[in-house]
Order: sequence, then C-alpha cells, then structure tokens
Amino acid sequence: MNRQILIQRTDTDGKRRMQSFSLDCTPEFTVLDALFAIQQQQDPTVAFRCSCRVGMCGTCGIQINGVPRLACKTRLASLREKSVYLAPLPHFKVIRDLAVSFATFFEQWRKVLPALRSRDPESTELAIIPENSPYARHTSGRRDCITCGLCFSTCGILATSKQYLGPAAINRALLRVLDPRDTAHAERLNVLDDTRDGVWRCHTQMNCVAVCPKGIDLTQSIGLFKRSLLAGKAETSS
Amino acid sequence: MSRNAAAWYMQRITGAVLVPLLIAHFWVEHFMSATLLRGDLTYAVILQRIANPWWQAIDISFLIIALYHGLNGLYGIVLDYGKIGPRAARFAAILFTVVGFSWAWWGVTAFRKL
Amino acid sequence: MIPPRIWVRNYISPLLGATAFYLQRVTGVLLLGYLLLHVHTVHMISGGPAAFDHAMETFKNPLFRVLEIGLLGVVILHALNGIRIVAIDFGVATRRQKKLFWWLAGALGSIIFIAGAAPMFLNSVLRR
Repeated sequence: MNRQILIQRTDTDGKRRMQSFSLDCTPEFTVLDALFAIQQQQDPTVAFRCSCRVGMCGTCGIQINGVPRLACKTRLASLREKSVYLAPLPHFKVIRDLAVSFATFFEQWRKVLPALRSRDPESTELAIIPENSPYARHTSGRRDCITCGLCFSTCGILATSKQYLGPAAINRALLRVLDPRDTAHAERLNVLDDTRDGVWRCHTQMNCVAVCPKGIDLTQSIGLFKRSLLAGKAETSS
Repeated sequence: MSRNAAAWYMQRITGAVLVPLLIAHFWVEHFMSATLLRGDLTYAVILQRIANPWWQAIDISFLIIALYHGLNGLYGIVLDYGKIGPRAARFAAILFTVVGFSWAWWGVTAFRKL
Repeated sequence: MIPPRIWVRNYISPLLGATAFYLQRVTGVLLLGYLLLHVHTVHMISGGPAAFDHAMETFKNPLFRVLEIGLLGVVILHALNGIRIVAIDFGVATRRQKKLFWWLAGALGSIIFIAGAAPMFLNSVLRR
C-alpha cells in the first residue's frame, strides 16, 4: 500500500516548509513506523521524538491530520485521507520539524505544586491504597496521565490565553487534593481559583477529552474543582 | 464560595432563568394572536399588556437578567484573550458594569410616560 | 498546510465540543447586539403612539421578517446548547456531550425552529 506523507518541517532558524514523501507500507504501519521508514530510507534529517513505542511514555505526540495524537498509537490504515499531514504539536515551541520543547507545559504543571507535600516528610512507610478506599475510587481513571501534552496542545483556551494552567496540570492538582496524605490543599486551590489562569477559563470545549490517549475525562476533573470551589470546601468528591 | 465561583454559577442560573422568560416573550409578542402572528405589533397592543404592573416587573427583570448574562459572557470573552493584564481586566469589569446599568436604565425609561 | 476539508471534518467530528463552543460564543455576541437594537426600538414607546407605530413601520419590510426568523434560530441554538453546557458543567453528560449536541441543539432545535418559523413565515413574510 502506498501512502503520501506530508511533513511540516521547521529548520533550526525557524523557516517552515511542507515536504512530501511517498511511502510503501503494510497495513500494520503506525505513523511512528512511517516516520522511522522515512528517516532510514529517504531523508535522515527528519526530526521527531519518541521513546517507548507502545503508548506509555507520551513522547511521540504530533499533529496527525490536524488532530494531536500519539504517533505510535495511530495506524496509517485508520486514517481515511489518502494523504497524511504531520505537523508539530501546537502551543509548544518547535525545536526542529516534529520535535517540540515541553518547557511551556511544565511551567504550568509546576504552578499547581505537582509533588506530594506529605504530612510526615520523614516517613519511610509505603502508601497503601486499598482498592475501595475513597481516594482509589475518586481517582480511578485519572491517575493514568503520561504527560504527553496532547490535551495542552489542543485546548482552545490555551490558543489565546497562554497563562491558562491547562487540563493536565489541573488533573494532577486534583490527584493531589484528593490525596489524604497531602497538606498543600489550600495553596493549590488558591492557584486553581484564579480568574485568568485557573479552572474558570475552562469552557468545556472538551478537545482535551477527545484527544487524551489514556481516555481521562479531563473536563470532568476540571468540573469537580469548579463544583467544589462553588460549594466552598477544600475536599473534592465525585 | 469564591467570587469567581459565584460569577460562574450566576451565568448558569441566569441562563436557566432566561429560557422560560424567552419562551414566554416569544409567545406573547409573536404567536399569541393572529395580529401578532402577522407581525403587527402596535403601541396599543403593548400598552394593553404593559398596563399590568406584573408585566412591567417581568419585562424589567427580563432585561436586567439578559443584560447580566450577556455582559458577563462578553467579559468572559475578554478574559479568554490572555494578552490583557489584570489591570485591563479590572477596567473591562468596571466598564461592563457601567454599560450594563446605563443600558438597563435606557430600557426601563421606555415606560416612563405610561 | 492541512487542506480545509480535513480541518472542517475535525471540527464536526472529533472536536465537536469546540465547534459547539464557538457557536455559543458567536450566537451570544449576536444576541447581545440584538438586545441593543431591541432596547433602542422599545425605548421609542416613551415617544408616544405616533412615534412608536411609525418606527414599527420599518420592520414591516420582509427583510426584517426574515431576520426575525433568523433570530428565533439563533435563540434556540444558544438556549439548547446552553442547557447542554450546564449538563456538562454539573457532570451529567461529559461522556455523551457529542450525542447531546446532536439531539438537543440539532434534532430538538430543528423541530422547535420549524414549529416556530413556519407560522411566522406563512403569516408575516408571505401575506403582505
């Protein structure tokens, strides 16, 4: 099967151009396989990032036919268009071709105090989370984030409002606020309650939910914060 | 409840209240009688309805609720364009409040000579 | 660059929520603009019967009649999508938001629009 792959390339000096490749591929080919084939057989200068190749590291996110997706989890055969358009993730600074810098993403991530601030920092005891404990129940399905940045790149608010925290960071904050061992609830809620950067900028466009490779209901996570801030309590319950 | 939460909630509440008010408004002004269906809304027709103080109260609250909902929505649009700073946002909030009050006054004074 | 047809397809299918959001914004701004005009017209009541009825003559133009029907459509879209947004906000329908858009704003919206627009069109646009 022959497919046309068009890659939006960016040189280190910031110049952009579209380059077309024609590729013979089998039905099992993922977009990442196609990128490797192009790099090995046609143009060794094509730059892209990847690591695990099985959809668990969140490194290979790119825009495939206009929608941010993981290259390793997208089969060419699943794309209806004859030509496949590949571009770097929007809302990130492009380093070269399809490789982007995650600096902006982690800048927002840091704002919500992503690390656990334990009641007892000296404790060496392992945390045990029973399957039916409230924490396990409330965070189920929300703990799988691999920080691939797809939600960040597709969020319509981040397109115009660069200081918005973004879905991934807010979901992370939710995990921390729900954690009974954590002590920084008030500080986090203060960050999230900001008029211009916090949860109130989310207008439930749900692009994040549409692209999340782990199927996390991010809009629901943001909504839980809105509703708990409305109720005026520090704990969130679903 | 934080102030931001209150503003967010009020937008939902006013929206929900506007739905029945709008249905009633469309019915009363466009569909209730054959004259209205023809679109012949006259002074006399309005005067007849507005003579009832309850209708005046409904119309005025309708206007105020719609203005709050609309201008609050517009303020949201302003905030979404993140290039404005906190001071500009504050200025926009004050501006919209002033515009809202003047607009409401303009509407309410329509009935002043009745 | 991506051809527009792919872009349009994305906004109808995977990113439908964003399309609904932009529709809500655009219809909202239109309605606020309409409210400005509406208050302007209503304010003419204070000028007395002659002035008001004279002003109303302008709106007997078929163009305004058709615009009025357009207004009905915009109101229905904004209101029904607004109900959908509240449902998402309170966690009722985050997983079914796309279906909800087609059923509420699409199907139910069309039914209400036709039910309202048909008599308006027959009585006020055609009969003059």
